[in-house]
Amino acid sequence: MRLLSVIRTVGPTFWGIASFLVLLAAAAGRMPLVLLTLLTGLLIFAALAYSLNFITGLTGYVSFGHVVFMAAGGYALGYGVGTLNWHPVAGVALGAFVGLILALGIGAVTLRFRGVYFAIASQVTAVAAFYIVLEVKELGGNQGIRLSVGFDPLAWFYTIWVVLAVEVGLTYWITHGRLGYGIRSIKTDEDAAKTLGINAAGVKLLLFAISGLFAGAAGGVYYWQNSGIFPNEAFQLTFSLQMLAMIVIGGMGTLLGPLFGAVAVYLPSQFFLTVLIGFQFVIIGLVVIVIALFLPEGIVGILRKYVPELRGLIE
Amino acid sequence: MADFLALLVSDAALGILLGCVFAVIAHGLNIIWGVAKVVNIAHGEFIMLGAYGAYFLNLYLGLNPLMSVPIDAAIGLVVGVGFYFGFLYRELRGKESMGRQSELVTLVSTFGLALVILNIAQAVWEHPVGIRWDPGFVQVGVVTLPLGSLYVAIASVAIIGLTDLFLTRTYLGNAIRAYSQDIPATQLMGINPTFVAAVGIALGFAVTMTGGALLTVWLPIGIDPVTIGPLYAPISFVIVVLGGPGKMWGSLVGGLMMGLIINVGQLLLGGSIALATAAAFLILIPLLLLRPEGILR
Repeated sequence: MRLLSVIRTVGPTFWGIASFLVLLAAAAGRMPLVLLTLLTGLLIFAALAYSLNFITGLTGYVSFGHVVFMAAGGYALGYGVGTLNWHPVAGVALGAFVGLILALGIGAVTLRFRGVYFAIASQVTAVAAFYIVLEVKELGGNQGIRLSVGFDPLAWFYTIWVVLAVEVGLTYWITHGRLGYGIRSIKTDEDAAKTLGINAAGVKLLLFAISGLFAGAAGGVYYWQNSGIFPNEAFQLTFSLQMLAMIVIGGMGTLLGPLFGAVAVYLPSQFFLTVLIGFQFVIIGLVVIVIALFLPEGIVGILRKYVPELRGLIE
Repeated sequence: MADFLALLVSDAALGILLGCVFAVIAHGLNIIWGVAKVVNIAHGEFIMLGAYGAYFLNLYLGLNPLMSVPIDAAIGLVVGVGFYFGFLYRELRGKESMGRQSELVTLVSTFGLALVILNIAQAVWEHPVGIRWDPGFVQVGVVTLPLGSLYVAIASVAIIGLTDLFLTRTYLGNAIRAYSQDIPATQLMGINPTFVAAVGIALGFAVTMTGGALLTVWLPIGIDPVTIGPLYAPISFVIVVLGGPGKMWGSLVGGLMMGLIINVGQLLLGGSIALATAAAFLILIPLLLLRPEGILR
């Protein structure tokens, strides 16, 4: 009886995502390679979208520089595997750790700014990080790091699967707990939240750190699969756009939104990649403009509005 | 030592000339930010379009970048009105100030716009193109200055001065400034807020695209869509914050500082332009913490 009540309180969205992930994990071993690669990519981008969702979706602080944490994870993996001869999974863990530390450092300063200033500071740090990495010899300078880690699709898949599963669980726990009320009040009115005794600075920094951690881990897996990291590609703003597009299209700050968004952005962009090279970002950009201007609540918001029966389900 | 000093003076002089162009680029963003309290993340892409405007005017009509300024400005006015009605009108209409939600909407939608323009430009213009315009050099003491950059710097300061005259001495300019301070009071004075805001944004875009045209003098490898937006947009953001958003002469002060940091910093940091650029960007963060209202009071 107790178990049943736990299942009920946790809600169908969580169980839906959980069973989707379990199903994927069970089927992974029997999948054709093409499908497995596609799914690995999808899970990597879903993990990136959930990581941005922690800060931009939940608190409304738009971060254009999230690509920094992804690149930091990639460089940590490159250093751990290439120079220290670690196992790639340890490299991914190092990536997560570096992402966390970097986010704590950057967040401690930039989270003091609000709105537009935070967005600009985040973009400026990303550009500055690119120019700094170009000069660091240990990270390969402008040559980047090339790795010979072998071809291991199942390992990639299960690593990112674990990252994403933890991330979704944490998103659920944060949004549905006591912390969630505090975060929502910060998103609506930060000054009012402070007067109610919410430690806004602490909460924001915690979310930013979590966000950096998962972006670092996802970046680690991405560059493990990529067998190397090269600065000119790693710091491209298109990664930031894709993450932002996913949460905008899916629905900011929701549990289901980033997953919907990842499916809606990643799969078509892979398709366009083979048909119209270079134009997938034009189309993603156009969709982002339209959704941001006319449907700022995203897919989840549309479902909530027009299918009232679902309202209890998608929380 | 004497050699080093000569180098330092020459780099500083070039940095000041570069800073004037930076200032006019950032000035466009400053006007938009001041009028509508929004930041156009696609700013760098409009700089790039202004540069291409100068390139095509040079290619087909043989105009040099200075002569292409008025035409680029006219195009900028039209683009600005289009931008206002496409991206800002719905968010600003009937509101007394920019809310958190509207801020988020404009940031995200203009970011999308930036990527759309950038990727189309990359697909259409695959190779960097340059403008051939070489009016020669002038020798001032130990410093040799390219005349093109000198003319462009003078034009930049003139543009900033003209916009300042327009905003402080004309009826329409005063209306724009009033709008940026208090929208309801502006309406009570019988000013049409939509018209005033549209003119203000259009002015910002005209200055931005003009800045792009002037910038072509400073692009040794030509106009490359991949680098212009991602480099000059953050530079403009930093300059506006350095000078203080909404302060018209702040752009010039911030621009000169930025030009000096990049040019002289390069000399002091062992010739590394990458580190100098990073330093120029990172100066923003301590400054924002200590003086969020900018250098100018």
